Amino acid sequence: MDKSYLTNMLLLIGLVLIQVLVCNHIMLFDVAMAFVFIYVIIRLPMNLSTNWLLTWGFISGFLVDLFSDTPGVNSMACTVLAMVKKPMLYAYIPKDDRTKDIIPSLSTLGFSIYGKYLFSMTLVYCILTFSLEYFNFADVKEIVIMSATSAVFTFLLLLSVDSLIVTRREKRL
Amino acid sequence: MKNIIEFILRYSKWFVFTFYMVISCILLVSNNSYQQSVYLTSANSVTGGIYNVWSQVSGYFNLKSINESLQASNADLQNQVFNLKTQIAELKTHLSDTTVLESDKDRFDFISASVINNNTRHPRNYFTINRGKKHGVLPGMGVIDQNGVVGIVNVSGSNMSRVISLLNETQHFSVKIKGSSFIGSMVWKGGDATIGYVEEIPRHAKYSIGDTIVTSGYSTTFPEGIPVAVIMNRVRSQDDSFFTFKVRLTSDFKSLSSVRVIKDIYKSEIDSLATFDIVTQ
Repeated sequence: MDKSYLTNMLLLIGLVLIQVLVCNHIMLFDVAMAFVFIYVIIRLPMNLSTNWLLTWGFISGFLVDLFSDTPGVNSMACTVLAMVKKPMLYAYIPKDDRTKDIIPSLSTLGFSIYGKYLFSMTLVYCILTFSLEYFNFADVKEIVIMSATSAVFTFLLLLSVDSLIVTRREKRL
Repeated sequence: MKNIIEFILRYSKWFVFTFYMVISCILLVSNNSYQQSVYLTSANSVTGGIYNVWSQVSGYFNLKSINESLQASNADLQNQVFNLKTQIAELKTHLSDTTVLESDKDRFDFISASVINNNTRHPRNYFTINRGKKHGVLPGMGVIDQNGVVGIVNVSGSNMSRVISLLNETQHFSVKIKGSSFIGSMVWKGGDATIGYVEEIPRHAKYSIGDTIVTSGYSTTFPEGIPVAVIMNRVRSQDDSFFTFKVRLTSDFKSLSSVRVIKDIYKSEIDSLATFDIVTQ
């Protein structure tokens, strides 16, 4: 348990640094942004209590907010993301599997379930951040376009992040 | 009592959720005192330190374009120095017995700084510079680069400062059309990092496409005549008694690197005059 905490903590620090130093400056075709740090919230084990999950979510969002001068935006979006994580995954897996202790990833869930879960999570996150950041009904068109494109971009990026981490673990075994 | 504890424990996740949401809301609501604290911005020592180290690596990426624009600005300045020297020499021959009035030349002091973190993709953008209170940088000071105005210092820590970028929807700048006295208000409306808008220019103002928009000098933030943008075309404005122009910004915000912070030595004096009425009433 301690070891997995440490791994997740290191993963969070690494991904937050990648987010603020690299991804924050990327804007594909002037619309799509990448949010790699939410991968930690998506990956946290399912048996973790919701209270801890929310704390992880809030802290990771808060760290990114500190660096990118967007106070509250990512903190709130990540807290909501942590809240919807369990219901979201449980909506996609059979009832019998819900009690199992799963670490959501491509290798444990398979592409069809993990893909649906990952895309729903990124889409929720993107809609939340852009709505909070623009906070204006006049910009609805912009919010929709940016959320959709960023969700696709982030989804592809997170799939590759996931496969990178899994292969490393498999090699170790 | 037992029931209450049981109730709290059962719904603990909703309590925790509400707690974090309330904190986020407090942070989100703009213009509160928490946001103005250095610790919650990119100018605090940890984030600033990380950006500082990173900028030493990434600072090399844009050197070519920065070098070119510095050379252009240098050539321009040399030209001006030459012209002014000839003018002075000419005046001296004409008016050898006149005393020169004390001018504004020493009113503004420049502090050079490097941009260590910069964003252009938010509706409200900020950037961080590696100079702070220790070097004399204080909130409210103007920031320019070799091409023109780039922002106003917002929060300053001891070694770093956060600057409100010109690319910030909430920040207006007092500007005028160069060579005239028609004052307007410069604002960025999101999207393209090279396009801005100048509003509230009176309808009787004379202008032509390609005119330079410069700072008005009606504040202690910027001296008069620093370039901000170039007029592209006139657009429909909400108010019929004013013109609105679409303008191309002179500074390249995607490759900001070296900037100068403007320090007005008369700032405290002018500010105290502005509040004079309020104090005496």
